[in-house]
Amino acid sequence: MAAISIRNLVKRYGNFTVVPDLSLEIADQEFVVFVGPSGCGKSTLLRIIAGLEPITSGELLIGDKRVNGVPAAQRDIAMVFQDYALYPHMRVYDNMAFALELRGMPKPEIDARVRQAAAMLHIEAYLDRKPKELSGGQRQRVAMGRAIVRNPQVFLFDEPLSNLDAKLRAQVRAEIKSLSLQLRTTMVFVTHDQIEAMTMADRIVVLQNGIVQQYDTPEVVYERPANQFVAGFIGSPTMNFFPVELRGDAAAFEHDGAPVPLDAAARARLRGAAGKAVLGIRPEHFDVVSGVEGSAIPVVIKLVEPLGSDTLIHFDVAGTAAIARVDPAMKPKVGERLSLLPQPDKIHLFDAATGEVLR
Amino acid sequence: MDHTPLSESWIKRINVLQLVLAGILIMSPTAWMVLSSFKPSFEVTAYPPTLIFSPTVENYSQLMETTPFFSYAINSMIVTLGSAGLGLLFGIPAAFAVSWTRISWPAVLTLAARMAPGTLFLLPWYMMFREVGMIGSYAALILSHAVITLPIVIWVLLPSFDNIPRSIFEAAQVDGCSVTRILWKIAMPLVGSGIAVAAILSFVFSWNYFLFALVLSNGDSKTLIAAAFNFVGEGSTQWGALMAAATLIALPPLVLAAIVQRWLVSGLTLGAVKG
Repeated sequence: MAAISIRNLVKRYGNFTVVPDLSLEIADQEFVVFVGPSGCGKSTLLRIIAGLEPITSGELLIGDKRVNGVPAAQRDIAMVFQDYALYPHMRVYDNMAFALELRGMPKPEIDARVRQAAAMLHIEAYLDRKPKELSGGQRQRVAMGRAIVRNPQVFLFDEPLSNLDAKLRAQVRAEIKSLSLQLRTTMVFVTHDQIEAMTMADRIVVLQNGIVQQYDTPEVVYERPANQFVAGFIGSPTMNFFPVELRGDAAAFEHDGAPVPLDAAARARLRGAAGKAVLGIRPEHFDVVSGVEGSAIPVVIKLVEPLGSDTLIHFDVAGTAAIARVDPAMKPKVGERLSLLPQPDKIHLFDAATGEVLR
Repeated sequence: MDHTPLSESWIKRINVLQLVLAGILIMSPTAWMVLSSFKPSFEVTAYPPTLIFSPTVENYSQLMETTPFFSYAINSMIVTLGSAGLGLLFGIPAAFAVSWTRISWPAVLTLAARMAPGTLFLLPWYMMFREVGMIGSYAALILSHAVITLPIVIWVLLPSFDNIPRSIFEAAQVDGCSVTRILWKIAMPLVGSGIAVAAILSFVFSWNYFLFALVLSNGDSKTLIAAAFNFVGEGSTQWGALMAAATLIALPPLVLAAIVQRWLVSGLTLGAVKG
């Protein structure tokens, strides 16, 4: 068990900078998820922690020990790879025992640890099989078992769920989460899937172009995104964005000058940003109001997606495609006219130029 | 459209014809050699060649009586196994290092050495080995034949190592493996068929290599193939015995080639079916 400190880390491949300058503190026993689009540097960062990639400059500490230049073999970390990377020529048992044998652990203790981990992951029945005789989900468990037996300081996961089908992914996701509560070891998990990030993390690191966009709990990242990128990346369907401006004292869509129902506080923030901003509203934060209410936004439903628990409706507002999540009991129809009112305490305003949130 | 089956059947016929021609081209000298070795000595050089004859092992017994065939065979075995072993000993780590570091020029260099004519090495080697009194020693022959075996081992194994997913090596690193251990415990077991192919090809090429043994050996350390060259023109050429010698010399490579062809195919497809 150990905390991880990344201080002013820079990573370049030749002239190409992946991570320009990154500092990050991961607490002991914390489950942190790195999330971001492909190429954001999240996997590189994980591989740097693992010791599989050298650091260009900056400092990396695991526990209290500076590990720059310490080979992966001596970092006491365990990693679960995207393709599982099981040793194809070894039985499941030997795959799990391998690292312990390398450390010269006595056979009975190895056996006890392997069997305990196998029981925890429900893979006792496959211990004598070779990896190629296992299904994807079973291989995934073996890969986790190989990490668990080590009882390492830090667990690293490199998109371990991306090769599983949707149903299995949800199941394993929950299992990893409950495992993390059981093991109480520092865990760093890389994914491009914001749902995995939201459901598993104690804290989420949202990365773009090697820069930390926000580092906070899932709730805060969802409710108070630091900028437009985070707001758009976290949440599904994605947040709706509309350029808005102040016209006199009233807020209006920049596109067509139609009024935007914003309260006084929001208008004050807008005024602070020289009267121009991007308004962000999550699909679940529209209220449907009956009839025509003065301040509500009138829309015409273009498409209906029933999800069972909710229904998504697609429409255009001020020349921008937008989505709202509504109660299925409404039974919305294509072509139907509705009036939508953004929940005043749930709207977000971002600087039109920088994308930073306006507070 | 109805002429298509016709042209397809013609393609088949042409294919068969090609195979037959290639077969004749490759097999006829071998068949000639093997058949001649079992002919009575007066029929070996008969013209036109006799196709029906009463087979005899007379040539073989003559070969054994008049030449130290077995001691040459042992020489060949020592040199071949030694150089194949040496090639594997250095070639396996070399191929792994090239695959691991992705620095390929050492491999290219060995290939260039292999492609250069043997005569290029021959003269300097002769001088060097003579200087240190190694002419005629097994060591000189084994070392010189390593020039044949080392590139074979490296180039057969390089794609095999490259085919192992990188993450398996990384997993081993994270598990606490040193690079040497990764080679020994992970990489080598995964390229087993490649190593077998490399070993057998090394054996065959070293066994068949003629030039170095001709110059760098002496009467006692001559390999079979170099010795067989001397059967020609020692007094009167015994064609029958020579054919018998050639047949026996060709036997081990032919047998090994037959074995390797199966592994060669499986060795090449191994990377495609990832566990």
